[in-house]
This record gives sequence, C-alpha cells and structure tokens, in this order.
Amino acid sequence: MHISWDMTPVRLSARLSPETRAMISRLRTALIYAVLGLGALVMVAPFLWMFTTSFRPVAEAFTLPPRWLPGLNSSLESYRRLLASDVPIGRFFWNSTVLATTVTLGYVATTTIAGYAFARLRFPFKNALFALLLVSLMVPIQTTLVPLFLLMRWLGLVDSQWSIILPGLTGAFAPGMSGVFGIFLMRQFFLTLPKELFEAARVDNAGHFRTFWSIAVPLAGPHIAALSVIIFTMTWNDYFMPLIFLNSVDQMVLPVGIMSIRDPVGNSSATSEVIAAVSLSILPVLLVFVVAQRWIIDSFVRAGVKG
Amino acid sequence: MTKTANNAAAGWFSPQNRKETVAGLLFIAPALIGFAVFVAGPMVATVVFSLMKYDLFSSPSFVGLANFEAMLDDRRLWKVLGNTAFFAVFAVAGNVGLGVVLAVLLNRNMSKTVQYAYRAAFFFPSLVGLIFVAVIWQFLFQRDIGVINYYLGLVGIEPVRWLSSARNALWSVIILDIWKNVGFAMLIATAGLQSISKDYYDAARVDGSSSLRTFWQITVPLLSPTILFLLTMNTIGAFKVFESIIVLTNGGPGDASRSLVMYIYEQGFKSFDMGYASAISLLLLTITVIVTAIQFALSKRWAFYE
Repeated sequence: MHISWDMTPVRLSARLSPETRAMISRLRTALIYAVLGLGALVMVAPFLWMFTTSFRPVAEAFTLPPRWLPGLNSSLESYRRLLASDVPIGRFFWNSTVLATTVTLGYVATTTIAGYAFARLRFPFKNALFALLLVSLMVPIQTTLVPLFLLMRWLGLVDSQWSIILPGLTGAFAPGMSGVFGIFLMRQFFLTLPKELFEAARVDNAGHFRTFWSIAVPLAGPHIAALSVIIFTMTWNDYFMPLIFLNSVDQMVLPVGIMSIRDPVGNSSATSEVIAAVSLSILPVLLVFVVAQRWIIDSFVRAGVKG
Repeated sequence: MTKTANNAAAGWFSPQNRKETVAGLLFIAPALIGFAVFVAGPMVATVVFSLMKYDLFSSPSFVGLANFEAMLDDRRLWKVLGNTAFFAVFAVAGNVGLGVVLAVLLNRNMSKTVQYAYRAAFFFPSLVGLIFVAVIWQFLFQRDIGVINYYLGLVGIEPVRWLSSARNALWSVIILDIWKNVGFAMLIATAGLQSISKDYYDAARVDGSSSLRTFWQITVPLLSPTILFLLTMNTIGAFKVFESIIVLTNGGPGDASRSLVMYIYEQGFKSFDMGYASAISLLLLTITVIVTAIQFALSKRWAFYE
C-alpha cells in the first residue's frame, strides 16, 4: 500500500485533542534531543577513549571493556615512556610549532595586503589578475606535486622547513588551502568598509601603506584572527606536504613523526606511546577550540557561502 | 598601440594616479609572484612532464603521449579510480545528507548553551588532523581488541574485519570520513538555513504542513545553493582522499582501498616514474575541473535562488 507521508500527519493530528498534540510534540522533541545526544556521543567518544587510554597503565591500556573515564589508577606511564624513548617528540612538537606559526604569519600578511589592494586600490589589469588567481582554487596541490618537488630540489630546499614555508610566505598556498582563499576572504571584507573612511585618510595625505596599516588592518582584526586560526590548524594538521618534503628525523613534524613511530597494531607498549603522542598532538587544537569555541563556530556560520 | 590604450596607460601612471598604481602592484606582487612560481609554473610543468619519461636520476626524455596510452592499459589505475569514485559517492552523500539533517535539527528553538554544545561536539573532529584521528580509529576498528567490535559483540554481532577484508576496507574509510567531516557540512548548512526567511516557515505552519513536508518542500529547495556548494566542495575533497587510507589500510588488502592520490604518490615517489605520475595528476585535475563546471552549469538551472 502506498502511504503518502505529506498527507497523513496533518489529518491525523487534526483529529487529536490539543493536549494529546502537545504531548506528541514534546515526545518528538525529546526523541530529537536523544538522537542528537547519541550522535554527539559518537563524535566525542574516540577522543575520550584516546585520552583515558593514554592515562592507563601500559599493561592494561587496551583491555576490554573500554573504560571511558580515567580512574584512580591513572598513570603517566605512557607519556613517561614516550619522553624517555628515542623518539624526539619534543623536536617534532617544536618543528610543528615553528612551521605552523611561520606559514600562518606569512600567508595572512601576504593575502591580507593583496586582498586590500584588490578591494580598494585601482591599478591596471586588476580584474584580470584576480580572475587568474581564482584559477588556483581549482588546482589540487597533488596535481603540481612532481614539479613542485623538482623545483624545491633545484632550490636545495628538500628536507628544509623552507620548502613548505616559502609557498605559504608568498601566499601561493598554505597546506590544504589555496592562496586565493585568503585573498578572497579579505577582499570581501574590505569591500564592505565605507569609502568615507579612506577618503579621510587621503585628505590627511596618508600614504597607501599607512592607510592600510592604520585604518584597514585594525578594523579587519576579527577576520585576520579567524583566517589565522584556520591556516595554523591546517598547517599543524597537514601530513601530505611534510611527507614529500621533510624526510629526516630532525625536520619531521608531528603527523609524519607519529607515522614513523607507529607499529602495526599489537598489544605492544609502543602502541600506547603512539596514543600518548597523538593526545599531545591534538592538545593545541583542543585548547584553541575550548577557548574560542563560540567565536570559531559563529565565524564559520556567518562566513557561510554567500560571504 | 591605439590611442585609447595609450591614454589609459598614461592615466595609470599620470602624476595623480601613479602612487595608487604603484602601491596596488606592490601590494599584490608577493601573492602574484608566489602564484607564478608555486602554482602556475608547476601547473604548466605538469603538462610538460606528462609527455616525458623521467626517473629523477637520468635526464628526462620526450615520449609524446605514451604515458596517456599506458594509462588506458593500466588496470590498477582503473581499480584505483573506481575505489576513489566509490568513496566519493558515499562519503559525499553521507556528509552532505547528514550535515543538512543535523543543521535542520539543531536550528530549532533550544537553549543556546545546549545548541552550542551539540554544534561544538559535531564540529570539533573537522579541526583535528586526519592523521591523528585516523590513528585513533585504527585502534577502534581492530578486530579483536577494537572498541567497535566489543560493543557490536554485546548485541550479538560477530567480530567484523573492518580493515583487513576487501569488502569492508573502503567502508571503514568512508565511516571515518563522515565522522570527521559531517560537522563542517553541518555548519555551512546552518549558515545557509539562517539566510532563509522565517516567513516561509510561518506560512507552512499556518497551512498545517508536517515537518517532513516542510523539510522537502521549503528547506531543501531554498537551501539548494548551499547544498550544491557542499556537494561540489566535498566531491573535489573526496577525490583527494589519502591520509585516512594510508593509516587505516595502506591501500589494502591488495588494492581494495587504494586511492588515486595514493597511486600518484606511489608512481612518483616510490617507483620514481615522474612522467606517469604527472599524467595521472592531469586526470585528477580534469575530474576537479569537470565537477566545478557541473556546479556552474547546475547552479544556473536547478539551484533555487530567492
């Protein structure tokens, strides 16, 4: 039998008393909350499992049933073993921090000033050049991998952080992010500023860089911060570019470093060191998220598609 | 040069415009140089390399279309492309479908704190590196010591070989991908929802429309530009799947879960066949361009703009 879902509920509810209808509505709300709660639990559970496992004594780290909260016998054994091992986890951490910070500063500076120029200044071929840059949105980094590697080798930058810093610094691209993304985002923002702001600066005879630095940049603060958080996180998380370009243990960043110490899974103690290393790697992102959660979510929700 | 062009050129660099022209060009110079050196140049070079045989050690030699002919006969390439398409279809459908449903369910009137808590929980995995979460999930997916099979066992389901069976390997990668990325789709869809006028919903309520009917007849059509955007971005992203497979299955068993980008990487940096890797890279670029072109064509036709 064919049931028409768009008719039945209306007819059915029309026949019921208001009290019954209110109860059904409450029940439905409760059901939605329960389903959402279950979903949220599924999202959080892997992280919870990771943190508690990293604090369990190594010998019982992987025993079942899984424990979801750290108990009285919490232990720092996994972390202690990780730090005492040959794995230079501190070095990986430092490399990741330096790399992500430098790429973020360079990328954000370059794309902000370019976005400003595309929004507010007049110069020849402006629109054609912007259109040309937009092409890079379509080019996956994987497509240019071979020439990029050969270029870096020719420049002598393979196995140097510069092989990843340089494209970021020039705003060409950051890991996982095309350069024009930042330019586009900042241009959109600068376009919304009223002309009068800049005319006042012109009357005062301020140079273009001064106008940019002392009027445009302070107003763009929240947008610059949001862009910085995105670029920092993506660089911190990236595995692909460091895999190709950074090979020696001295140069490795966390994602590649973790892959290098990972054993095929067994019950060996090495695996609980991996869990500890992953926990440490996720920590900075988690901290940023806990501090700036509402703000990050709001900026994503507002940025939207329509921009 | 024509007179008008002369005038325009003179205009750009006339005394009153010169400063602005110079500033503008200086401001975009780093980005433009970066684009030329690290994006456009390598792009052109990829095309050139795709016509060469080059192993990094001896000098490259021109081979014409041989690499592309080899692609036609390469069974592994087609297998890998099929895997990637399979992954893309289900991961994208899961991410966008679930993302939109979550956004709608969370867009109702509820306590702001609860709403933020839910959104935060769903969104957080999108911020964490794929390598990191994939390492966690690799433990969860284990047959004997894995948490997932433990709970399935409690309800009487036999242990599943999530990663080591050819039938399940790709599905495990899809599950991880949806878990990781659904929150991002949810947030973008939320942004889209908030731009829909409340009047439509008020009218629907007056008409006594059921919530399912309201969803299909009001929310989905009005959200279609956002949905289309999500479908495009997710599809392009899905064709680049790499990290999660490296960690979970390493492409196996056999080639059961190997992806296109893994294959490019292996051809280029393990077999040192840079020409062939470049040729396959162009295949990836072609797919990306086609998906984008479809997005443009469709957005004129069926996406509903207010």
